[in-house]
Amino acid sequence: MVNRILYEKAKINGCNMAVLKTLLYLFVYPGILFLFVYSTFCEWVDRKVYARLQNRYGPLHTGRAGILQPIADFIKLLSKEDIVPEKADKGMFSALPVFGLTIVTLVAMYLPLWHYSVGTVSFNSFPGDLIVVAYLLTLPTLIFFLAGWHSSNLFSTLGGARVLTMLFGYEVPLLLAVLSPAILADSWRLAEIANFYQARPLLLLVNIIGFFVALICLQAKLERVPFDIPHAETEIVGGTFTEYSGKKLAFFRLMADIEMVVGSGLIATVFMAGFPGGLIWGLINFIIKTLIIIFLLSVMRAVTSRIRIDQMVNFSWRWLAPLAVLQLLIVIILKGILK
Amino acid sequence: MAEFQVPIGPQHPALKEPISLRMTLDGEVIKDADLKLGYNHRGIEKLAEERNYIQNLYLTERICGICSNSHAMCYCQGVEKLMELEPARRGLFIRTLVAELERIHSHLLWLGIAGHEAGFDTFFMYTWRDREVVMDLLEIISGNRVHYSINTFGGARRDIDDLQKQKILDGMEVLRNRTNYYLNIGVTEPTFIARLSGVGKLTKEQAVSLCAVGPTLRASGVPRDVRKDDPYAVYAELPFEVCTADSCDVLGRAVVRIKELIESYKMCEYLVKNLPVGEIKVKAPRRVKENEVISRYEAPRGENMHYIKSNGTDKPERLKVRAPTLANYAATIEMLKHGFVADIPLIFAAIDPCICCAERSVTLIDSKTGEEKRMFFSQLRKWSIEYYTKKPKLTGVTWPF
Amino acid sequence: MKTKFAAFLPEIIRHLFKRPATVRYPFEKLQVPKDFRGTPVFDSAKCIGCMICVRDCPAEAIDIIRVEDVINPDAPDKPKKKFKMLLHNDRCIHCAQCVESCPTDTYIMNTDYEIAVFNRHRLKIEYK
Repeated sequence: MVNRILYEKAKINGCNMAVLKTLLYLFVYPGILFLFVYSTFCEWVDRKVYARLQNRYGPLHTGRAGILQPIADFIKLLSKEDIVPEKADKGMFSALPVFGLTIVTLVAMYLPLWHYSVGTVSFNSFPGDLIVVAYLLTLPTLIFFLAGWHSSNLFSTLGGARVLTMLFGYEVPLLLAVLSPAILADSWRLAEIANFYQARPLLLLVNIIGFFVALICLQAKLERVPFDIPHAETEIVGGTFTEYSGKKLAFFRLMADIEMVVGSGLIATVFMAGFPGGLIWGLINFIIKTLIIIFLLSVMRAVTSRIRIDQMVNFSWRWLAPLAVLQLLIVIILKGILK
Repeated sequence: MAEFQVPIGPQHPALKEPISLRMTLDGEVIKDADLKLGYNHRGIEKLAEERNYIQNLYLTERICGICSNSHAMCYCQGVEKLMELEPARRGLFIRTLVAELERIHSHLLWLGIAGHEAGFDTFFMYTWRDREVVMDLLEIISGNRVHYSINTFGGARRDIDDLQKQKILDGMEVLRNRTNYYLNIGVTEPTFIARLSGVGKLTKEQAVSLCAVGPTLRASGVPRDVRKDDPYAVYAELPFEVCTADSCDVLGRAVVRIKELIESYKMCEYLVKNLPVGEIKVKAPRRVKENEVISRYEAPRGENMHYIKSNGTDKPERLKVRAPTLANYAATIEMLKHGFVADIPLIFAAIDPCICCAERSVTLIDSKTGEEKRMFFSQLRKWSIEYYTKKPKLTGVTWPF
Repeated sequence: MKTKFAAFLPEIIRHLFKRPATVRYPFEKLQVPKDFRGTPVFDSAKCIGCMICVRDCPAEAIDIIRVEDVINPDAPDKPKKKFKMLLHNDRCIHCAQCVESCPTDTYIMNTDYEIAVFNRHRLKIEYK
């Protein structure tokens, strides 16, 4: 009897531990808290690098070297007046920022950080999660479009239309570029792809074209210069976000930051052999690799000027898509040789 | 997608000053453009009639912040002609020097704005950083960064010493290196060029018939420049060339401005090295006898014109300002048509608009009741058509020649 | 014209290792030139009350007010006229025309530039 009670207790304890662990995953690391802190840090890095490239200081006063500036901006936006336009679809208008934030945070759960083991199939690592991540990363674009559309503002609508037009430009090359390392690794599971390249680091060099294609596509996905066409402030004011203010805008800003982290995390997993080494080293790996990608994105932002929407679509179908296909061909041929 | 109208302005991030553009769009393509003025009317011309000539010198300087010297110098030259005053030669040299330094700062500013409107903020930061050099030079010479107040009737207000001369020469050297860099490298950046070239076409014939002025005109291949065609101050003896481009687009306007920058550096160096000795100003009378004059000046944005009428007192009877931006509006509408929405800020910025210079509004005053009403141009047009349909037709009118 | 991809790249990377050009204004300040046009300073001992500055001031920022005469040490029977000046610094546009117009060099311009305050009436300066 006593044994039975002890057994039950142990079971409940084990269950509790599992729940606690899951909660930790969700809310602390790599969940919301970590993402919030790290994405604001990444925004700071981006702003600082961008400023230094332009011979400026960038954020300077909040925290040490302005490191708390993005958080201060976030809090300030939260405290601002929140206006919903009269003609806007109120339900959708208010729900979209939350949806967007949820989706990008969800994507972070699929990144193969330390809580993975390649052997077991769990709820957040299974064959084909690469496709799920790629799909989930498409949704923010849709959210932006809907946000623009439901604002019922001329500039927002124009911005929304541009968001969708751009989606047709970069989505296919991005998917092709991300798929080619997967084909070489013969797996559609992020953890296994990362594992494959950890074992054979030299093969990473094969995917160098795909890496740059994916980088450019990520820049387009994040809507940063030269692809900030949907919210080009000198043309269509705030674009998609023209009508957004206060908390909702703060959520959208945070969403864009987290999307940057998650997007660079995906590229780091697929093209840079993931984040091996357990909790601490995995974290350090993650930070170093994503920061390298964010640095490259900042340089790209500083070195180019915004292009027109037709030039963007033209560019992605004339250069990015063929390059991604070329990468795919290289990988397929190499795979044949290796076999 | 059906055609729809997009308002640009009166408040818009691409416009630093209030003006209203109305675009009829078909998708991303502009079908028609319309322009509305009158958001920034300050009544400066009327105010000028209430003030004496010296006070007006500073009033005209405040017509515009960027080309402040243009208006003040244009006005000053006009009044000197009315006074029949021959300004001191050294003063004229200093005035011309400040005018050219102002052109440099204005063109560098424009380059930065073009970069910003094209979404190329790095270029914007670099040009504006380099612009600080010339702003500092102007501060050293005149004591202020924006309103130089170097003009006075009969010459210049401040002299230049050897230390300042050396600083100007050094500054010109720095700026020349930077400008050559922008001409060689900056303008070959592919994403930047792709945004500028072929945008805002204005053919030579259109430019001439729509009375465009300044770099807008010269970028369409018409070598017209008041400094060459009707030299004022000491431009007659300065070695410089009128810069033109044949591409008739925004890229051409950028190239013309960069070339003009290099010409301006040459001119500044010549002016500093050949500065004559002597007084910087001669004494001017306070009252001006009855006469009228038109003064022309090549501002960074194009030909600036002041009409001044005097009536024998120490106040002008009438001052009329025709700022260069006003002359370029007609051409802008033509340039905007058939372009993309994405090009609106670039095309509009390419004329280097100075809205506060050019602001006009029509106010009608009923002579019997003294009642004032403001009319839009469209209302005025409708009203005039109605007025003339009611009126009996004139008979026996012949074509004058 | 030949286009190069990312033509700005070398210049931009170079600036990564350069000191930013920005001056961190409230903490470090630029030197103003010696001829900087700040606020006019009035010397009542030199003023003869000709009022040219009042007439020429474009912003109508100067009031010259006659105060009690002072005894002239050179000629005790003829008291010297004394004037005080009221400068409306909220209207002053710092053009230095008063310096230019004054026949007796009563005015000089100082080099103050941080003169903004929350209440414009506090900008009124009285020189006695």
